[in-house]
Amino acid sequence: MSKIIENLYYSKNDEWLKDEGDNIGLIGITDYAQDQLGDIVYVEEIKNGTKLNKGDVLTTVESVKAVSDVYSPISGEVVEVNQKVIDEPSILNQDPYGEGWFAKIKMTNPDEIKELMTSSEYNDFRKE
Amino acid sequence: MKLIFEKSIPGRAGFSLPADMFDDINVEEILPEEYIEKGKKYLSEVSEVDVVRHFTRLSKYNYGVDDGLYPLGSCTMKYNPRINEKIAASNNFTKAHPLAPIELVQGSLEVMFELNKLLCEITGMNQFTMAPASGAHGELTGILVMRKYFLDQGQKRYKMLIPDSAHGTNPASAAMGGFEVVEIKSNENGTVDIDALSKAMDEQTIGLMLTNPNTVGLYDEGIEQIEKIIHGKGGLLYYDGANLNASLGILRPGDTGFDIVHLNLHKTFSTPHGGGGPGSGVIGVKSNLIPYLPTPLVDFDQENNVYVFKDVGAKSIGMIRSFWGNFSVLVKTLCWILSLGPEYLYQASRSSIINANYVLTKLKDYYKPAYDRFCGHECTLTGREYKKYGIKTLQIAKRLMDYGYHPPTIYFPHFEPYADETIMIEPPESEGKEILDNFIDVMIKISQESKETPEILKSAPHVTPVSQTDDALAVKQAILTYDDELQNKDKLNYSKENINF
Amino acid sequence: MRYIPSTKEQQEEMLKDIGVSSFEQLIDNIPDSVKLKRKLNIPSALSEFELEDKISRISQKNANFQKFKPLVGAGAYRHFIPEAQKALLQRQEFWTCYTPYQPELSQGTLQSMFEYQSYIARLTKMEVVVPSIFDGASATAEAILMSLRLTHKNKIIVSTLTHPHYLETIKTYLAPHNINIVEISFENGLTSLKKLKQTIDEDTACILVQSPNFLGGIENINEFSDIAHQKDILLIQVITESMSLGLLKSPGDMGADIVVGNTQSYGLELDFGGPHNAFLATRKKYIRQIPGRIAGETIDKDGKRCFVMTFRAREQDIRREKATSNICTNHNLNVIASNIYLSLMGTEGLYQYSLLNAKKAHYFEKKLLETGKFEQTYKYPYFNEFLLTYKGNINNLNNILIDNNYIPPLSIHKFYSDSFLENTFLFAITEIFNRDELDSICRLLSR
Repeated sequence: MSKIIENLYYSKNDEWLKDEGDNIGLIGITDYAQDQLGDIVYVEEIKNGTKLNKGDVLTTVESVKAVSDVYSPISGEVVEVNQKVIDEPSILNQDPYGEGWFAKIKMTNPDEIKELMTSSEYNDFRKE
Repeated sequence: MKLIFEKSIPGRAGFSLPADMFDDINVEEILPEEYIEKGKKYLSEVSEVDVVRHFTRLSKYNYGVDDGLYPLGSCTMKYNPRINEKIAASNNFTKAHPLAPIELVQGSLEVMFELNKLLCEITGMNQFTMAPASGAHGELTGILVMRKYFLDQGQKRYKMLIPDSAHGTNPASAAMGGFEVVEIKSNENGTVDIDALSKAMDEQTIGLMLTNPNTVGLYDEGIEQIEKIIHGKGGLLYYDGANLNASLGILRPGDTGFDIVHLNLHKTFSTPHGGGGPGSGVIGVKSNLIPYLPTPLVDFDQENNVYVFKDVGAKSIGMIRSFWGNFSVLVKTLCWILSLGPEYLYQASRSSIINANYVLTKLKDYYKPAYDRFCGHECTLTGREYKKYGIKTLQIAKRLMDYGYHPPTIYFPHFEPYADETIMIEPPESEGKEILDNFIDVMIKISQESKETPEILKSAPHVTPVSQTDDALAVKQAILTYDDELQNKDKLNYSKENINF
Repeated sequence: MRYIPSTKEQQEEMLKDIGVSSFEQLIDNIPDSVKLKRKLNIPSALSEFELEDKISRISQKNANFQKFKPLVGAGAYRHFIPEAQKALLQRQEFWTCYTPYQPELSQGTLQSMFEYQSYIARLTKMEVVVPSIFDGASATAEAILMSLRLTHKNKIIVSTLTHPHYLETIKTYLAPHNINIVEISFENGLTSLKKLKQTIDEDTACILVQSPNFLGGIENINEFSDIAHQKDILLIQVITESMSLGLLKSPGDMGADIVVGNTQSYGLELDFGGPHNAFLATRKKYIRQIPGRIAGETIDKDGKRCFVMTFRAREQDIRREKATSNICTNHNLNVIASNIYLSLMGTEGLYQYSLLNAKKAHYFEKKLLETGKFEQTYKYPYFNEFLLTYKGNINNLNNILIDNNYIPPLSIHKFYSDSFLENTFLFAITEIFNRDELDSICRLLSR
């Protein structure tokens, strides 16, 4: 049974978003996603200042047997990058909701959060 | 096992030198100093005896088709006849220089010419090029031919349709050919969804790449409709010949509407897999595409009674490799076709289809088939019901090794609703019934083990030279040469005592 | 039939177990309109002795190539192949096996790949080695595609003295990608550095130079490297005669970013042009953009050192249309063949043979010039392949050599329209000629 955290928002592509307030969103991938990927060995560099639309590719995550694009669930600009996860990709497997965040985005359209799923909605989505 | 470098002892030699070393020629006088390596490049120093022992032992860590069943779906691991190896190894073939004047290589040219005739008849196509070195290479070649054809007509087409069940090389080749890949979903019968195909096909699409039987071993009965849809919008139909072993003497792709086909000589035509090649991916086309084939082709000059290389002409896509083809592979193919003739080519396909359906029938109660219907020359089962015991299909595959088998294909195909729990089994015609019965018994036993003693699957294999490998560590430490290992000695953590030889 | 074990009776049993009364029921989903209603129109099956006889007659239509030695190279070189290597390659575990996707059953293949990668890394002084792409031409095309992916630029510069088949292949592979291919011509048998400096710009992804080049000349790779790196351009060196690596300076030490090498000279037969093999070697920082399979070291669950295919996420089965290349089956057995060859030759052997190649070629050139029938076309440093201008009748040269069991050198003018190159021949001499033989060839040609 994969873990789902209560107060996060979820996308259909298994990304999570944490609303840190002040229009800052934190982005990561879910426990289900890291489990599907297997041992993650590489995360592609994310550049500070990158401007993204909702659905654009934020980074690419590579495991031994798969490669997955990570899409930004909201539009905005990258204001902070978690270099730890780029240097040590296995953090994504160990702590996908904590230390395993990719970047902080300054949201340009916070209403987009409404289009994401709540934890119970994601739970139902992934149960099938 | 020790690396050859770890067996190296200064002063040992595995080579011989002539007495006359041309000491009258001074290297300093013939080559500028700055172009010569200072000192020698250190490789290794071992005797011939050391080398023979090293590789003899190394070979025993491999498992070949001669060792036993290799039920790999879509790979057609059939017996590699020894007479074909002997014939291909004759000096007149192996020592022929590709740029020798053609009057000296009439035999080699005849091999290529005769093989073309046979392959055309077997597949229903009009002309083959022997240039491509592998299936994927053939795909790229074929796609470039298709591309040139449309450019020549003044048409700008930029999309390629590929079923979601396709082998990974199909979209990769299409991308290399400059095309945007449009994936077509499979329907609940495992074949191409005709509606989806019809919606996707338009005049900006170059065509469809299709494997038939497809990659789950099912013949796509929709082929007539597919052909109409693709040709209806002026597109071309490409045949991925990886599964031709189901069709020899039964049907010919050229008769079912395909404009261009590639064959995997190292699959259907018995040439050895070599641990990953060399094989050959010759492509055959209908007449309208001949002007675009890679150059040159082998022709017979009636007037002068001689085989020649003929330039394809200005519309050719050019060359896709150096020289003319994987010649020794072509010789072996010719030998195999001549050894089987029409009657046994048909028997080969017939036997492989019976084999696959037999395995399907005997195992379907233990491994639910992906589709409830007869299969072609390979069957696709699933290991999904063992998930509840915590068993993944990968573990079933690893446990098979303990019983002396190479696992079937499990990493492919990847499309829904199969995800990653497929087991694709192809028992070619060179596998006798008792081999299949033994394999079936073992698969049934493993299904019981999955329920009763799943731990033994999780820790498998146990009898192989090495057990489960840490693939993630391989990427992380990126040790790709012996010098990488030497430079990282302090970080490595393997237990040296397991390495004795 | 001896390759199809199941008897008629066994097949009947199987059909019964499947639950059908005839084989035709298994294929009745195939439309009748497409089923073949006749036998294939190909010759009836031959017995083994008939097959051997038939193909042997065909092979006799070739010259007796055991006797016929080539004075031509041009991308395919006849070298000595030690018998121990041939014997080891007979071991079925090396050649009847499948791609090493299951490492537990493939350590023979995987360790061989790793050892070979190690040898090539040492010979080229590069860090990462892809051991097998089909041949030098397709490997060169892959190297260029790789440089385009790395730089996101769309112009490449190639030397005209690259093997003509390789140049053709590059153009074919690049045709769909809208790339500006600029060819640099040559002076005195070597690529013109002057023209190169005039041609490079910010839009250039890579410079491709073959060394020794198609005419045999050794290029000054250091200079190419300086020019390339001033503008962040990748330098790709192509080697068609890998024997040269035993003696000549390593490309890595001269600044090459990617090296492509045809390794037919490492224990592979001429085989009328294929299958040969080529490696692609580069720096570790480019590893995620390399095409093809590569082996890496790891441990198994018991802590044993072992080898696996690695960095697989680039490959077609995982990445599909985003893969770095479509390559799947390569020429793996030839990796093992070359690995065994290099193990037998070793440090000293490859060096000595390489030296013999250079010395014998230069000796032969000297002797040919002494006949008075030849002139040096260019004065350039070369390894074992050189160009000479013939002062006599070309047909006579070809005929006299063929009559005496030699494959003539390559007539160059068909590849280069320069009238200066009419009547020139490209000779290649390897270790297989002894002094008496070289002397007698010269005597033949001096008549």
